[in-house]
Amino acid sequence: MPQNDTIQDLGLDEYKYHFITEDEPVFRSGRGLNEKVVREISAQKGEPEWMLQSRLKALEIYNAKPMPTWGGDLSKLEEVLDQIYFYVRPQEKMERSWDDVPVNIKETFERLGIPEAEQKVLAGVGAQYESEMVYHSLKKEWDDKGVIFDSIEDGLRNHPELFREYFGKVIPAADNKFSAMNAAVWSGGSFVYIPKGVELDTPLQAYFRVNQEQMGQFERTLIIADEGSKAHYIEGCTAPVYSTESFHSGVIEIIVKPGAHFRYTTIQNWSTNMYNLVTQRAMVHENATMEWLDGNLGSKLTMKYPSCVLVGEGAHGSILSIAYSGDGQHQDTGGKVIHAAPNTTSSIISKSISKGTGRSTYRGLCQVHEGAVNAKSNVECDALLINETSRTDTYPYIEIEEKRSNIGHEATVSKVGDEQLFYLMSRGMSEEEAMALIVRGFIEPIAKLLPLEYAVELNRLIELEMEGSVG
Amino acid sequence: MSETTIIDQPIGGLMEGITDALNATAVATLSAGEPSWLQERRAEAWSAYERTPMPTTRLEEWRYTNLRKLLKLDRMTFEAVAPSDAASGTPFDLASAPSALRDAMEADREASGHVVEVDGRVVHVDLDAELAAKGVVLTSLRRAVAEHADLLKTHLATDALPASRGKFQALNAALWTDGIFLHVPRGVRLELPVRVTRYLTEAVSGSALFNRTLILADPASQVSFVDESLSVEFTAPTLFSSAVEVMARDGAQVQYVSLQRMGHGVFHLQQQRTLAGRDSTLDTLNVSLGASVARTDLNAQLLGPGANSDMLGLCFGEEGQHFDHNTSQDHVAPHAKSDLLYKGALDGNARSVFRGIIKVHKGAQQTDAYQTNRNLLLSERARADSLPNLEIEADDVKCSHGATVGQLDLDHLFYLMSRGLSRTQAERLVVLGFLGEVLSRLPLGGVVEKVTRIIEERLQQG
Repeated sequence: MPQNDTIQDLGLDEYKYHFITEDEPVFRSGRGLNEKVVREISAQKGEPEWMLQSRLKALEIYNAKPMPTWGGDLSKLEEVLDQIYFYVRPQEKMERSWDDVPVNIKETFERLGIPEAEQKVLAGVGAQYESEMVYHSLKKEWDDKGVIFDSIEDGLRNHPELFREYFGKVIPAADNKFSAMNAAVWSGGSFVYIPKGVELDTPLQAYFRVNQEQMGQFERTLIIADEGSKAHYIEGCTAPVYSTESFHSGVIEIIVKPGAHFRYTTIQNWSTNMYNLVTQRAMVHENATMEWLDGNLGSKLTMKYPSCVLVGEGAHGSILSIAYSGDGQHQDTGGKVIHAAPNTTSSIISKSISKGTGRSTYRGLCQVHEGAVNAKSNVECDALLINETSRTDTYPYIEIEEKRSNIGHEATVSKVGDEQLFYLMSRGMSEEEAMALIVRGFIEPIAKLLPLEYAVELNRLIELEMEGSVG
Repeated sequence: MSETTIIDQPIGGLMEGITDALNATAVATLSAGEPSWLQERRAEAWSAYERTPMPTTRLEEWRYTNLRKLLKLDRMTFEAVAPSDAASGTPFDLASAPSALRDAMEADREASGHVVEVDGRVVHVDLDAELAAKGVVLTSLRRAVAEHADLLKTHLATDALPASRGKFQALNAALWTDGIFLHVPRGVRLELPVRVTRYLTEAVSGSALFNRTLILADPASQVSFVDESLSVEFTAPTLFSSAVEVMARDGAQVQYVSLQRMGHGVFHLQQQRTLAGRDSTLDTLNVSLGASVARTDLNAQLLGPGANSDMLGLCFGEEGQHFDHNTSQDHVAPHAKSDLLYKGALDGNARSVFRGIIKVHKGAQQTDAYQTNRNLLLSERARADSLPNLEIEADDVKCSHGATVGQLDLDHLFYLMSRGLSRTQAERLVVLGFLGEVLSRLPLGGVVEKVTRIIEERLQQG
């Protein structure tokens, strides 16, 4: 049962992550995207020549690809991008101790509760501020077992062979326009390696903060979960609200080796002036499991479809997606599973809530290649509509080339039922409490997979967003 | 989604699809001697056709059907002769008709009226005298232009399938040579179906044929329309384009059934649009069994409160067949209901595409809309793609959709085999049961038996 506060009693009807930190970056590129910016980023990072060339090639691909015409409204995006700072370096180098992080940046993360969470529940923490990781640390016991949890730049610097073997292999620059953009200007993100057989019992977390106005953040994360390992990675993201648009485009590549189990959780809570266009994909090998837990609450427009490419026999992929779209927001999310090996299984569960003029779109792909015998996939989408101005769409693509497979998709759209409301109100709840309880029940299957602290946070966020939704 | 999934680049410019046979001269020849409103309508449609680019797989609606490979318009002939001039001569003689056509008609004795079309031209129409006395009109479209000009001027290629709806809607509106007009006046109820049998002979091999059907059901009327098409096997690619406009006014009850069993070599292109008024029932059933390529576009408009559309479809595909069903359920009015069930069973290297969308427009509260697509793959080489979409812009609705692709249920097979059936017999029975669910939802006299028999025959051959 929920606490008996009404939603109003919480007294938090604003985006609680709106606060601006006053600071001066160490370096800032010019506005817009061009070759000069790409060369500057590479020089700032002191990269090897092959990486610079790879960036420049990606820029060419980006320029050659047309802006997508599907998904959300990107008609204003070119204008926005012309005004964006593609690279902002907040401090000289990354720190391993909070004490060494500049005071104003540290305070930012303290307000977000990151150092506290680190002590309590996390195996390691990375914090990105603007374009760079400002802090990265891993508990000693995991360090001793050979776990690597580093900024992506340190990954390239300290583990060049491992890095080069996998970088851009799961998501090549040419995959789509925004993966090309990221490959050209990436900065920040994590490099993670979980050695064979190592099982982390608490999550690793990366936190992404955009502070400046008209800022573009392009984190790049590469994760290798070696054979038989197990780990959980969580990313969170916030930014202050500005009247102009900001832009975030990440690329997350994950290799889940035979028998490994990896879970990647996103609690995306960008401010509602943020374009959030992310490509994330996992290559899942024999008998390995990949789980995406994707919570999208913030941003102006999110286009993000976590993917599992099941390349090894017996691989399993699961995508659990929850989207909340309030006034003016469009969450265009979903998932993709590609069955490319026999006896692979997958499941996609998507839940969305649209309120006010919000729009939630499920867009998904389930593909079974010829020869992927006994592939099984199940997709379920539920959409909840709160107001008559709310909108929801479902666009699944099901492409089956193998007879010996079993594929299902189901979706339902409903309104919060009057009967449900009246029942709860007849038990003494106010209409708002009843509404909040129904919505919590709706997202329960996802909340229960999160570590407790995050589940509480997710519930509270939803409750906050539901405020004033009745009548 | 990755952009790499997009296969095709758009080709050519605005003049795509204009050929030695299909061109403005053909339109002019065809409409010589027609009333000026129709001449203008054809000319406008032709100009819309010219302006509209040929659909490519870059368009969502044509994602899995590549016209560059499957439709060779530039190799097709077109006979721009008005059927009124050509077919007014000898009366149709059933005894001398091809046996396949005769058999199809023999099975359909019970009817309110019949229409027979050979090679795209109406050769025979009969209608129950009592119904004719009540004002029911069943006639060729060509004749209707002369005899029911007002109704055609208002409704032909305007409300339901205007040229503006797409490249092929425009082409058909410009080049139709004949078709069927049915008008059922207010309150008149037809107890037995109207049966149409269309047949293409070797004479039209390699040509493009354009045909229209207009069905107007006035308030509180009732009618069922069974539209069957057959042909010989063609060596040259042959196009049969059928545009079907169905309007059910307030309280009318209409059933439209298309039973397509064309031969090899046919590209069967159907465009159907149904307009359902207040408290009307407008059900459709599309059975696709034949043709090399069969594309059906069906748009159901729920225009009045209380309107109800059941939309049913089945296809059974074998070696070399490609089916593409593109449906939409447009809920414009509140308190309306639509329920779609499309099923496909695919053998050989057959391929089916289902793309359906439920669209609930702003203000269409209390909508009930459902959509189900189920596919059975009977062979290693068969393929099914399914895209069931929802776009909902009202909050007080009940909508759901489901899609499945799978193989024969082994439990079902083993059960039947444990009762003494051979594996082949058991498989046939399960397939029939799978497809039979669709037919049982629209139990129209003669149709269920006929379709079941045809599928049984084909299962036995395979």
